[in-house]
Amino acid sequence: MSSKIVMKNIFKNYGAVQALRGVSIDIKEGDVHAICGDNGAGKSTLIKILSGVETPESGELWVSNSARKFTSPTDALTSGIATIHQDLAVAPRMTIAQNIFMGAELTKKVLGVTLLDKPAMRRDALGYMSQLNKSITDMDTKVEALSGGQSQAVAICRALRWNADIVILDEPTAALGVRETEQVLELIRALKHAGKTVILISHAMKDVVAVADRVSILRRGENQIDLDAANLTADALSHYILSGDRDSRAA
Amino acid sequence: MIEKYGTFFAGIALFVFLLIFADNFASVANLLNILKQASFLSILAIGFTFALITSELDLSFANICSLSGVIVGMMIFNGLPWPLAVVAGIGLGTLAGVLNGFLVTVLKVPSLIATLGTSSVANGLAFMLTGGVAFVGRWDPNFLFLARGKLGPVPLIVIVLVVVVGIALVFSTQTRAGVHLQATGENEEAARRAGINTRRNKVIGLALSGAAAGFTAVLLVANLSSAAPQMGGDFMLLGIAATLLGMTMFTPAKPNILGTVVGALIIVMLGNGLILLGAQYYVQDIMLGIIIIASVAVSASTLKQAAFSL
Repeated sequence: MSSKIVMKNIFKNYGAVQALRGVSIDIKEGDVHAICGDNGAGKSTLIKILSGVETPESGELWVSNSARKFTSPTDALTSGIATIHQDLAVAPRMTIAQNIFMGAELTKKVLGVTLLDKPAMRRDALGYMSQLNKSITDMDTKVEALSGGQSQAVAICRALRWNADIVILDEPTAALGVRETEQVLELIRALKHAGKTVILISHAMKDVVAVADRVSILRRGENQIDLDAANLTADALSHYILSGDRDSRAA
Repeated sequence: MIEKYGTFFAGIALFVFLLIFADNFASVANLLNILKQASFLSILAIGFTFALITSELDLSFANICSLSGVIVGMMIFNGLPWPLAVVAGIGLGTLAGVLNGFLVTVLKVPSLIATLGTSSVANGLAFMLTGGVAFVGRWDPNFLFLARGKLGPVPLIVIVLVVVVGIALVFSTQTRAGVHLQATGENEEAARRAGINTRRNKVIGLALSGAAAGFTAVLLVANLSSAAPQMGGDFMLLGIAATLLGMTMFTPAKPNILGTVVGALIIVMLGNGLILLGAQYYVQDIMLGIIIIASVAVSASTLKQAAFSL
C-alpha cells in the first residue's frame, strides 16, 4: 500500500518546551492509524501540525506524495485532511442537514435571487450519512435529539462534505458510554470501508486494538515504537506505552 | 403541536374573548388601530429578533428609535426635504447598530452592557437635540402618508409590515446569510470553524436591529407629525416582550420572525383589551413583566445563553 501521509523528523517547540523531537510517522493509504502515548507525549501537537493549527520548526510533511507546509486549517482542509475534535463543534438546535452544510450551504437561483437549496442539502446529507449510519434517515432531525455516537456521525459527514480523504479523529470515544463507543467504532470501520485514511488519537486501548491497522506510540515527543495492530491486545498496548519498552514484545 | 402553536391558539382565544366581552373592541376603527399599532411594534421587534438570532441582546433599540425620530423631525422642521430626513433616520439607526456591533465584537463588551450604554447615550442626545421639547409642525402630506395613508381600506403601514415581514422571513430562513446569522447564534465556535465570519454576523444582527429602529422612527414621526425625545421609550419592553413571546411559537425556543409578529399582535391586542375592559393603566406593565418572564421560562432560550455569557 502506498503512503498517504509521511512525516519526517518533525520538531516543534513551545518556548523552552520541546513538544516534538524528531517524530517520523508513515501512514498508509486506507489504514486506520492510531497514535497513542501518555499525556504530554506529543499527540496533540502532532495533530495540530497535521490539521494546520500549528507550524513545525523543522521537518517534512508529505501528503499523497507531495510536500506540504500548512499555515492554516484551511490549508489542511484543501489538502484533504479534516479534523474532528472531541467537542464535535455541532450546533445542537440546528438540523442534521444544516450542520453538515454549515458554512457551505447549497443554493439555487429563484427569480434571480440566490436562495438555499434545502432539498439538495437534505439529499446530499443523506448520501453522506448513509455511508456511515444507515439508521439515520431524517436529515431534518435536530442534532440535540441524537446520541453521542450519532452526533459524531454528523461531524464526520461534515468532513466528508469537504471531500476529505484523510479524517483525523481526536479522542472520539472519550466522553461516550459502551454502546455509543461501539457506534463510533462502527463509524471508523465505515470510513475505512469508504476508502478513507483515518488517524485515530485515543487513550482507550480497547478501542484502538479493535479498529486500528497500525499503532504509533509517542513518548516525550519522540517515536517510541510502531506496531502492527493485527494481533495486538489492549494489555500489550498499555504495556508498551507504560514501559516505554522499545524492544520487548512482552505481554 | 401544543409546543409549537400553543401560544398562537391562546392568542386566538384572547381575540375571541375580547370580541365577546370588551365593549367596542370589535369596531372596525378599533381593530384597524390595533393592526396599526402592532405594525409599528412588529417592525421594531423584528430588528431586535435579528440581534437575538445571533445571540446578542439589544437594549438600545427603543432609545435609538427616539434619537432617529428626533433627527428626522429636526431635519423636516428645518425645511430639509423629507426623503433626505427618512434616509438620515434609517441611516442613523443602522450606524448606531453597527457601533453596538463594534463594541461587542471588537471591544468585547457583552451586548447587555454595551447596548445599555448606547441606549443611555442615545437618550441623552435626543434630549440635547430637542431641548426636551418635541419638534411639531404641519409637514408634507406625502411624508405623513407613509404612516397614515390608506390603499383602499387597508392602511399603508400594514402593507409596509407585510413587505418587511416577507423580506425578513425569506432572508432569515431561505438565504445563506440568514442561516449564517442563526449558526453564529447557535454555536459560535462551530460556525467559526465552518468558515463563517461570526463577528461580521453579530455586527449585521445588531445593525439590523438599529436599522429597524430607524425605520420605525420614521413611521412614528409620520404618524404623530411630531418627534419627541421619549417617543420610542415605551417600545423597549413591548418589543422585547413581543420577541420573547414569539419564541414560544413556531420554532420553540428560537427567536423567529413570524413568532415576533404574532407576539406583537397579541401584546397590542392585550393592552387595548385591558383598557376597554376598564383595567387601570398600570395593569399592562404588570402583564408585560409576566409575559417576559413566563416566555423565557417556557423556552430554554438563547436569551438565557446571551444573558449569562457575561
